[in-house]
Amino acid sequence: MTSNDPIFEVKDVTLRFGGVTSLNNVSIQHERGEILSVIGPNGAGKTSLFNCLTGVYVPQEGSITFHPSATKAINIVGRPPHRVAHAGVARTFQTSRMFNALTTFENVKIGVEARQKTGPIGAMLKLPRTRHEEKYSDQRSHELLEFVNLTHRTNTLADSLPYGDRRRLEIARALGTDPKVLLLDEPAAGTNPSEKLALAELINRINTELSISILLIEHDMKLVMSLAERIIVLNFGGVIAEGTPQQIQNNPLVIEAYLGASDEAKQ
Amino acid sequence: MSVEASAPQKRNRSLNSDDVRRIGTAIAGGLVLAIMTGPDGAISDPTYGVKASLLSGHVVGYLIFGVIIGCLLTYRAKVKDGTWGGDRTTPRRTLMERAMSLSPVSRYASLTVTAFAVAIITLIFADFSGPVLRNKMSMHAIAHQFLYTRTYGYLILAFALWFIVVNQAMRLTTFRLRSIPRPLFVLGAIITILLFSLTSDPFLPARFSWRALNPGVANSLFHHWTTYLWLSFGLAVSLSWMFKRDSARGTRPLRRSHALVVTPSMRFLTYVAAGFVVFEAPKFMSTYWQISLFQQIGVFCLLAIGLNIVVGFAGLLDLGYVAFYALGAYVTAYFSGALPIHPPFHLNPFLIIPFAIIIAMLSGVLLGLPTLRLRGDYLAIVTLGFGEIVYVLANDWTQATAGSAGTGSITNFSIHFLGINYAWNPVNYLSYYYLLLGILIPAIFLFDFLNHSKVGRTWAAIREDEVAAQSLGINALKYKVMAFAMGASTAGVAGVFTAVKVGVLFPNTFVLQLSISILVLVIFGGMGSIVGVLFGAIVLQWLPSYLNFHSYLGFEETNLYLYIGALLIVMMIFRPQGLVPSRRRRREILDSQEGLGSADALSAITYEQPS
Repeated sequence: MTSNDPIFEVKDVTLRFGGVTSLNNVSIQHERGEILSVIGPNGAGKTSLFNCLTGVYVPQEGSITFHPSATKAINIVGRPPHRVAHAGVARTFQTSRMFNALTTFENVKIGVEARQKTGPIGAMLKLPRTRHEEKYSDQRSHELLEFVNLTHRTNTLADSLPYGDRRRLEIARALGTDPKVLLLDEPAAGTNPSEKLALAELINRINTELSISILLIEHDMKLVMSLAERIIVLNFGGVIAEGTPQQIQNNPLVIEAYLGASDEAKQ
Repeated sequence: MSVEASAPQKRNRSLNSDDVRRIGTAIAGGLVLAIMTGPDGAISDPTYGVKASLLSGHVVGYLIFGVIIGCLLTYRAKVKDGTWGGDRTTPRRTLMERAMSLSPVSRYASLTVTAFAVAIITLIFADFSGPVLRNKMSMHAIAHQFLYTRTYGYLILAFALWFIVVNQAMRLTTFRLRSIPRPLFVLGAIITILLFSLTSDPFLPARFSWRALNPGVANSLFHHWTTYLWLSFGLAVSLSWMFKRDSARGTRPLRRSHALVVTPSMRFLTYVAAGFVVFEAPKFMSTYWQISLFQQIGVFCLLAIGLNIVVGFAGLLDLGYVAFYALGAYVTAYFSGALPIHPPFHLNPFLIIPFAIIIAMLSGVLLGLPTLRLRGDYLAIVTLGFGEIVYVLANDWTQATAGSAGTGSITNFSIHFLGINYAWNPVNYLSYYYLLLGILIPAIFLFDFLNHSKVGRTWAAIREDEVAAQSLGINALKYKVMAFAMGASTAGVAGVFTAVKVGVLFPNTFVLQLSISILVLVIFGGMGSIVGVLFGAIVLQWLPSYLNFHSYLGFEETNLYLYIGALLIVMMIFRPQGLVPSRRRRREILDSQEGLGSADALSAITYEQPS
């Protein structure tokens, strides 16, 4: 995996909660434009890794560098989450976190508006820039809803959306912030097979049409194998394998992590 | 109606006995109304009575009214059963539909035209049925009608007519009468019935003008049992309707269509009506109520919409809000030279307002920056402490604030500018009231714009899920501090007004109880809704004034919190979202009752546990 244009560089990251080591010396390189998947059994530290990458957790050791463009480098460690997001890292959550009392449209609009500059004075007086930005965010939100195929739900309240639509709304909201990389935390959890197919197609379109790099945590192996260009396997907070889907499927360490060791392997 | 009429081939275009009955009933109804609301005079007056009523001019007005209603009913029935309006195969067109197709520009344009037509008919009604005057049709006489409350009664009748028209129009557009939000409907019912009770009471000895609304005048409406009869009737209707809706709430999906679609003409009418009440009604009040209107209601409206930004929009519990109010007041005293420490320059209160805004805002930012990182209860306690610090400083730092002895006298409002010289007269209470309106009304609109802008949505996002909001790049702390500072500066302005009007400041004005009282106004009215908190402020601040005014009610000031506490408990059980809640807030509270979300940014945030 040698390349000179990574988007995320994670080097020797260790994260501890008291005596529990959640991530142990994890090093990952995420290439620009790539769909990279992180898999592993429950408790392997996948979501912890996401939280470190988005600034929610601050790892005790190691460095995380984000490259919004080939020439720029931003240190993530110690940066508050909103500034990480501002730099171009968008994410979705394992249990979807919508703004439930707002409509689908408003949810996306908040994402788009997070990047805009309108302040309270401009908002109160409806200054020209405010109006201009408002017009833009309306238009952009409609575009994004169309992109994720939620146009028919524009005015539905987020909490009355079916599960699959909620996932796609969360993705649209994240896309609203105009990210360079999108971190998806189990996007297919709780969706049915046809929704999964649509989701896989959507993720592919985000990657190819919007050229956004994607880091994907997922338990559904079919989805992972069909989408990911490269897979990283975590177990007990450490990276145990890395490679293409074919390589991972045949890796004995991975099989052991998921199914337990066979007798042969033990001897 | 009849079986024959519904058959398409038998298209009978003449009137049948049903129609005659319908029109007859409507006209008879009009006549009964005419007699009921008869001409002026006491019961003993010979002009009162059926004969005199029938001979007076207003009967003509009622005949017109009856004929119109009768024709409308007939027309509707005819169209409904298919007698009129073309083949059964094509959709039938109602009168309104035809009227609407006349306007190629916009359907709403023809609606507005209709509304204006109805308004003109109303004027004719009002003239025919107003008090007996010699010069009935002169312009002066028509203008004079508006001095009498009954004119407004007829306006309501006409509005009902208009309502029917609107209803017809609604059939053609996508929205329904159902879509009017419940609180608005309830408010409407109460106001309508209140106005009816004011205008159509035949038992009062004489027709009354607006002056009779003044509770200080003997024989005013508030001394008459029929007023309360009507009021309880209105309440019963409203409540039954409310509970009907409530029982259906479990199954009713929350849809966007519950939003009221406000047409420009409706908005215009509302503004005109509200403006009339706000600007004209106080002129007819007694001094007691004028004082109360400024000091008890007006200032607290300003405080409530300020606190609403903090509690309602941003979802932060602030128990020390009164501290900013006190700051505004003491800044005024300082620049008036009323404190033991003297300012470098004395200022007119108008020029103190920007200073008060800036100082209150800065103190809001200074308090907010360290404390708004705290969550929930901690924030409440810190703000509570801040409120107490300001109170203790005002009370005990006698070298600076003169302490409990009170400040010196504070400069009054005056204008000396471009040759205009006007000083506010302390006895003319209304002049202060109108000045306050000059701040309050722009503030209401500006804060409403703010709530419906990016900033308002961002507050909603932070309230609902701070972690998700931050993941979108929203700086939650910045927005919380912003809300804090804006609330604080509003309180600062209210402080200036209070200081100038009262003239002398005592620290015990700014106690913790006042903070709680303002919070109660916000919660009672409906967090997050500007109309709601204004409503809460008006009702809850009016009530003690009213109870104090009527000494026979045996109200003791000290018991006020007992009543308000009881009221709050009842509210929290039956209507936790407040009387007129904002749509967003109501949904959040409903959600949180079902275990979805937290309803505000107060409760501790649960970060995802490391997997």
